[in-house]
Amino acid sequence: MKKADKVRKPITTRKRLFLFVLFGWLLLILGDRVGDLELYQGSFVATYALGITSVILLTGYSGQLSLGQSALMAVGAYAGALSIFNAGWHPVIGLIMSALVAGVFGLVLGLVAARLSGPYLAGTTLALAISLPTLANQFPILGAEEGIVFDVGLPPARFGEEFSQYKWFFWISALAALIMVFFIVNLLSSRYGRTFKAVRDNPVAAQLAGINVGRLKVNAFAISSGVAGLSGGLLVMLISGVSPSAFPLSLSFSLLGAAVVTGLYSLKGVILGGLVLVAIPEIADSLVSRIGGSESFTTVLPGFIVSALLILAVVFTPNGPGHLLKKHH
Amino acid sequence: MIRNKSMKRATLASAIVATSAMVLSIVPAHANSTGVTATTIKLGVSTPLTGSAGLVYGKVPGAMRAYFDYINANGGVNGRKISLVIRDDKYLPTLAATQTTNLILKDKVFALVGALGTATHSKAYTAAALAKNNVPDLFINTGFSGFTNKAKYPTTFMVLPTYNMEAKVMAKVIKDNFPGQATFLIAQDDEFGADGVAGFTTAGHKFTASPTLYPQGTMTAARAEGALATLGAIPGKPVLVLFGTTDVTATILKAAEKLELTKKFTFLAGSVGADANTLLALGVKSTTVDGIVSASFMPDAKDLTDPYVKQFVDINTKYNKGITFDNYVLAGMNSAMLTVQALRAAGKNLTRAGLMSAIEAKGSTFASAGLVPLGYSATSRVGYNGYWVSQLNAKGEGKPYGGKLVIYTTDSGAGAVEVSNFVRPTMPKNGIPTNS
Repeated sequence: MKKADKVRKPITTRKRLFLFVLFGWLLLILGDRVGDLELYQGSFVATYALGITSVILLTGYSGQLSLGQSALMAVGAYAGALSIFNAGWHPVIGLIMSALVAGVFGLVLGLVAARLSGPYLAGTTLALAISLPTLANQFPILGAEEGIVFDVGLPPARFGEEFSQYKWFFWISALAALIMVFFIVNLLSSRYGRTFKAVRDNPVAAQLAGINVGRLKVNAFAISSGVAGLSGGLLVMLISGVSPSAFPLSLSFSLLGAAVVTGLYSLKGVILGGLVLVAIPEIADSLVSRIGGSESFTTVLPGFIVSALLILAVVFTPNGPGHLLKKHH
Repeated sequence: MIRNKSMKRATLASAIVATSAMVLSIVPAHANSTGVTATTIKLGVSTPLTGSAGLVYGKVPGAMRAYFDYINANGGVNGRKISLVIRDDKYLPTLAATQTTNLILKDKVFALVGALGTATHSKAYTAAALAKNNVPDLFINTGFSGFTNKAKYPTTFMVLPTYNMEAKVMAKVIKDNFPGQATFLIAQDDEFGADGVAGFTTAGHKFTASPTLYPQGTMTAARAEGALATLGAIPGKPVLVLFGTTDVTATILKAAEKLELTKKFTFLAGSVGADANTLLALGVKSTTVDGIVSASFMPDAKDLTDPYVKQFVDINTKYNKGITFDNYVLAGMNSAMLTVQALRAAGKNLTRAGLMSAIEAKGSTFASAGLVPLGYSATSRVGYNGYWVSQLNAKGEGKPYGGKLVIYTTDSGAGAVEVSNFVRPTMPKNGIPTNS
């Protein structure tokens, strides 16, 4: 029997938990050894990784193409900001509300969009991405363009004076991302998660096997929205406030692009996706400063690099870098 | 299916990639954390260079840099050359927050100058911990009155008058010059427009109908035509106040051209939305531009009889090659000139706290192109505190309305609008400040 054909023992939840804790511990050590700038960038990596997770969950695992992830992130961001700023709740509750409210919103949206698929669903979610953040301007409670403050407060005094705001951001975003991704990975490796893939690959066969396709798609939409909502909450925590222009349409496209680069059918590369989004402007910046180009060159270079990466990913690793690694073995 | 080994591999690979990328990106600590050395002063700005806002405001940072280059070529400030790090935020809050943080943590600038936008800069201010790090935030390009709150923005100095002041001056202009005419307001639906609406309310002006408010980016030609068609039926020559950006003013004026209503209204455009060059470049006919009334605090960029404008045009020709001189270039160079005076006033032993104290103590006496007084003091972070009223001609030149320059001053509160006899300080020789 060939090695590749061997039936492998599925990874248990306990082992997975151990891996996540180990990874979190590594991040903790790393967080003590880098500067504030790297911690701030790391926080964005974790936040974007969650956003990419929501795209992969929806598009890669349940086969629904959404261009409206930025709008769902906005829903989560506003829910979190209102919970903290208006209701005066603890920031942790605020972030949980980000996920919950966006999840419920996604559930309703999923019910409405259940009959849509392919380009029609993409079109509907695209309209949502364009219109929803702008709607925020219509309600005074949402603070119009200046928005609402999203303040998670200073780090606890027991961490000492050296514990910076950026390290606090990094801890919160990395921990939130780890917990959420752990939950999603567990869900996807469960029996329920496998039905997602069954529906994506062949809805008719899945229905014949007794799976309620419609309900499953709605549920996938709701869970994905919850993840996007948490990502939105973290994003506005990092920029200290929420406003409509924090969620441009380009954010949806960036997340989708990063999901394609890291592989739409696997969650293995989401951190890589987050890194791609954060690191590319930095790489462009240092490249231009080394070769002595102008600011205008710096502004166009990231788009060029992302485009090149997308083309390379589609040609060479259509299923993500993880699959490429596996093939070589 | 997620398998054991591949899962482990992927997790490890992700960890290694994340670790190495972050470790590799560590930048060695700069010797001077404040951005000042014996021979240099490093300043920074996060502003839109690309995107729709970049098209309009993208010239401002280049103009600042050109003026600094001119000063550097003439000895710098107390022997120090000024460098300006420019970062593009595309007018997006997330990018403004990260770019401003980069300016502080990576570029290690001494101070920020000329940051643009309310939604963007309010986020960037907190995210980059400017207050905590006591980073001077000089001459920001937004008129949102919230930035005058010293408790919330302790290191910020505005340069533009507030939108609230502008609306109060406009209300006075309407009352004095267009009595009995119907008045209407079309305003951007955000803090910019809201500040304006509040100013009109404070001034006691009541519009004939409720203001038409539109979210930024939603004023289409069809919407503009719909609004004007309704107002076109009003008898007399109604005053139409446009409180938005120049691209929206252009959309509304072109709608008026299409409906042949250009002579039906008196257009009263706010300072943000009345750049004549941009209007003409966006296809508005010169006959339509002719007659537009606008509030302004700077001289007209086409007025070469103004010594400041003439000097800045010369600097632009030499140090900002290929860029057409307009109101945005003028504004950029003017902010740079104020910055140089602030740096000089702070003395040779340059500190962040010293720079801010110097502006509070001497800022109101700085020479600048503005035709209205500067309002800096120990308690006020407001820049220009008034307006003059201009009328554009067919060439796009702004001339004093009624043929006589009248300067109005006011505040962002309930204070009255008053006529001022302010006389602008004489321009330093060759536009090079020598103050201390």
